[in-house]
Amino acid sequence: MAYRIFIVDDEPALQKMVKEILTQEGYETDAALSCAQALERFRCAVPDAVLLDVMLPDGDGFSLFGKLREIRDVPVIFLSARDEDEARLRGLGLGADDYITKPFLPQELLLRLKAVLRRVYRETSALSSLGNVKIDWGKCTVHRNGREVSLTAKEFTLLKKLWEARGNIVTIDTLCAALWDGPLVGYENTLMVHIRRLREKIEEDPSHPQFLLTVRGLGYRLKRGEGQ
Amino acid sequence: MKLRGLQKGAMLVTVSALLIFGITLLGWFAFGCYISDGGQDWNVPMKEYSKALTWDGKNYTFTGENLLEEDHWMMLLNPQGQVVWSLRKPEDIPEQFTLTDVASFTRWYLEDYPVQCWVRPDGLLVAGSPRGSVWKHDIAMNTQDLLQTPIWFVGIFLLALGSVLGLAWLVVGRWFHQDQQIRDAARSNWINGVSHDIRTPLSVVMGYAAQLEDAPDINLLYRQKASAIRSQSQVIRDLVNDLNLTMRLDCEMQALRKELLRPETFLRQIGADFLNGGMGTEADFEIDLPETPLPEINADPYLLRRAVNNLLTNCVRHNSPGCLIRLGARRADRWILLWVEGGTVTASKETVSYQPLESDGGAAHGTGLRLVAQIAAAHGGKAEFHNGTPYRCELWLPIKES
Repeated sequence: MAYRIFIVDDEPALQKMVKEILTQEGYETDAALSCAQALERFRCAVPDAVLLDVMLPDGDGFSLFGKLREIRDVPVIFLSARDEDEARLRGLGLGADDYITKPFLPQELLLRLKAVLRRVYRETSALSSLGNVKIDWGKCTVHRNGREVSLTAKEFTLLKKLWEARGNIVTIDTLCAALWDGPLVGYENTLMVHIRRLREKIEEDPSHPQFLLTVRGLGYRLKRGEGQ
Repeated sequence: MKLRGLQKGAMLVTVSALLIFGITLLGWFAFGCYISDGGQDWNVPMKEYSKALTWDGKNYTFTGENLLEEDHWMMLLNPQGQVVWSLRKPEDIPEQFTLTDVASFTRWYLEDYPVQCWVRPDGLLVAGSPRGSVWKHDIAMNTQDLLQTPIWFVGIFLLALGSVLGLAWLVVGRWFHQDQQIRDAARSNWINGVSHDIRTPLSVVMGYAAQLEDAPDINLLYRQKASAIRSQSQVIRDLVNDLNLTMRLDCEMQALRKELLRPETFLRQIGADFLNGGMGTEADFEIDLPETPLPEINADPYLLRRAVNNLLTNCVRHNSPGCLIRLGARRADRWILLWVEGGTVTASKETVSYQPLESDGGAAHGTGLRLVAQIAAAHGGKAEFHNGTPYRCELWLPIKES
């Protein structure tokens, strides 16, 4: 099922471009040019996420945000030309899921939107695969070549954190924060031990890993499998 | 502009000082003139009255009635204290005075009448004025104190002058600062407005250019052109962002949101974001951090990230198709050095200390590097740019005092 994105922006050219970008990626779109139009259409559109401009001809996006949230609790990303700290902090402080400053690259918009949708509409029983490794996030089980592999809670957390950002580098500090609730000094070596054990369980040849790669000095990256 | 304002302020203060000095001199001159005749005569000098009163062997004759005002009076006491002649003497003034009475009224008042006295061979001439018309006080002073009076006078004058000058300087400074603030706010609003208005059309340009760049059904040459439009639009975007921030820092309108940062964690995240964002695809990237943990720094992560990103972006932009970019940190005494090196970017100066914007409100060249220096300065540090191969920039930031 395709996600439905509701775009509120008073600039028709930008609205048209964003619609094209989202449609090409398989999203459904609906749009409004003003606060009044947005409130009217929002009730019927039933969107999965909203891209909301801050400065609108008949009001501001921050007020509209509250009204939209009263109608339906959907993820909202502010898409604004206002780059001041105050505006960003106000938007995020109100409870928005992200704040993107114009001008932006289409890829940036898509990645951020995907991240928000993934976070909000997380499928708990989803199955994922990494080469010959099948992961069931709901049941917290991992199978390699059809045989169940036993992962400790820390190893599973590590795998999940890397999977959520797959393709991207995750820093040592972020991983430590996920495992020990804070970027603790001196935990790097312990992290390396966990990584080595995880490799032994998910890699065919742990000495020459194909998926869980080290980025020297920075952290680790889980390589995207084919078709991902 | 600033220099002209300061000159104007200094001139105003100098003119005020000269004015105060001139008025004081005038006051002194007037006072000097007033006391030149002894400061004892309220109307006509007693000497004139005395000359006008003569003894012809039988009677006293006074020829100076025109000198004596209507409500004033006179009397002459003989050496025994008896009134031997008087003119318009009030009824409550007695005819006979004792030594004590004379000693008292010569210094104070006679029945509340302010009086002046003049010693003559035949007695004491007394001239009285109406009650309440003159204030008189007997002054006696130690000679040593009297000699010190000019010193005290000059000291108090200098103190007063200093206070007035200080106050004037404060007022002028405040006025100048307010004036500057108004100009800064106007300039900042203008830049903010322009950059705000440029953002939406630039989004459309960047968006469509990126779409064309990735479109498989378009000729490679046109895709390359679209790529150039996209990348140059990004340059404009970064310039607009930098210009806005540099302006706010310049006018001290950017509040620092400092927090404690671990340099290693901070730099690793920047490095990861740099590579994840695809900026480092053409370059080799290395991070160089010491094995011993570095002390924390108290800094605004958003601004500091902006500074380091500017340096990384600079390396990429000026070294196409790629070079080795190294990001690192080390401790130097009470400073933490965050450094970026790579390529051969040439900065105009070896050490760039940030300078205010040009007087016409336009940004100086090299806004990106200037912004780096401004951010370092805002944190109480400095930025050093070292030309050569590899080009190296160091951000010196103070270590958080525990």
